[in-house]
Amino acid sequence: MSDSEPPVVLIVEDEPDVAETYNLWLQDQYEVRMAGDGTEALELLDDDVDVVLLDRMMPGLSGDEVLKRIRDSNSDCRVAMVTAVEPDFDILEMGFDSYLTKPIRSDELHETVSNLLERSEYDDLLQEYYSLVEKQATLEATKSSAELAESEQYASLTERVEDLQSDLSQTLGGVENDEDFIATLRELSNGDEH
Amino acid sequence: MATNTDSTETMYDLSSVLDVDALEAVRPGTSILVSGPAMTGKEAFAYEILADGVAAGQGAVIVSTGDRAETVIETFDERVSVEEYSLGIVDCAGDQSTAESRPQDGIFVHHVASPGDLTGIGIGFTEALEALHDQGIDSGRLALSSLSTMLTYTDRKTVFKFCHVLSSRLDAAEYLGLFTIDASAHDEQTLQVIKQAFDGMIEIRERDGTREAQVRGLTAEPSDWTAL
Repeated sequence: MSDSEPPVVLIVEDEPDVAETYNLWLQDQYEVRMAGDGTEALELLDDDVDVVLLDRMMPGLSGDEVLKRIRDSNSDCRVAMVTAVEPDFDILEMGFDSYLTKPIRSDELHETVSNLLERSEYDDLLQEYYSLVEKQATLEATKSSAELAESEQYASLTERVEDLQSDLSQTLGGVENDEDFIATLRELSNGDEH
Repeated sequence: MATNTDSTETMYDLSSVLDVDALEAVRPGTSILVSGPAMTGKEAFAYEILADGVAAGQGAVIVSTGDRAETVIETFDERVSVEEYSLGIVDCAGDQSTAESRPQDGIFVHHVASPGDLTGIGIGFTEALEALHDQGIDSGRLALSSLSTMLTYTDRKTVFKFCHVLSSRLDAAEYLGLFTIDASAHDEQTLQVIKQAFDGMIEIRERDGTREAQVRGLTAEPSDWTAL
């Protein structure tokens, strides 16, 4: 996700009126793409998509099938399931990141999208943090403590590691509640493409 | 990661297990790596600390990658001085098809398919915390034994991230975390990376037939090597 461009939300909804309502609510803050069915959704899915709102009950490809194909692809987007009834199963174990029950209110939709984006931000920070820690460890393993004390590269790495540590502790999106926590862990297991 | 500076919370006193100043008042949410060569009793040490906690009415959560729940219960029970206590176990070593069970009063068991199933471990941890919460327990100590087994199932990067995320969750829950690692099983760089996911480290070694430990990272200076 780049800082200058708005995050991309893909709405997958077979009822045009409903899709258009979501679009109206979201278009000021996000770049919105709309797909009328699962096949179109997979066509519109690329690396730029950050969040997918996926209607579970659609003619053609079902929401579950679309989800499976998204997960099998390299996309690391977040998927919120949109459902007519409160799900009576564990949506996290199924691979969804969140769910919304119809009818959705504007504030709920905004909250869900921003929560999912926060989780992505947390994952990105965690990834960056790991890369720095690994570089730091490599230097520590290959240089003497006298060399490390002299090394500007090591000093700036150490500083960045500390900065990121505090950024991470302030970006609670990944662990704020049980749902965030489990979704973050699942992303770790899926996230081998990083 | 312990980031709270709120001084009203109750500190964890671990000094009856290892008598050093650094362990007299450990802030809730602190995660500690317990490191040492094979057969130095890292898991036993972690269990000691949990047993000490349940004797004070705190909860205990054990994530086991090697021993099955029955063995964990047996081993843990030997160390506990009180009759009744609350224990949650996340068993990643068994192959039971039932996800949850309550073998006896106060004990909650969640089964996970393998030590590589991080999501399953996370779910087990939250369920265990909830089970303890239902018994009126909102503080406690967690032992995960061992990270070395997890590292054989999952790459270093993922285990590091897992440790960081779980530590953050422990911080929010104000639990204390102990994670064991077999220092002789990994290269220096891996240990260095994993260490970074924790607030501090307790290193265990054996010298002339005596087990001793040193605490680092929790206070400005490392503690002296102290006999266990």
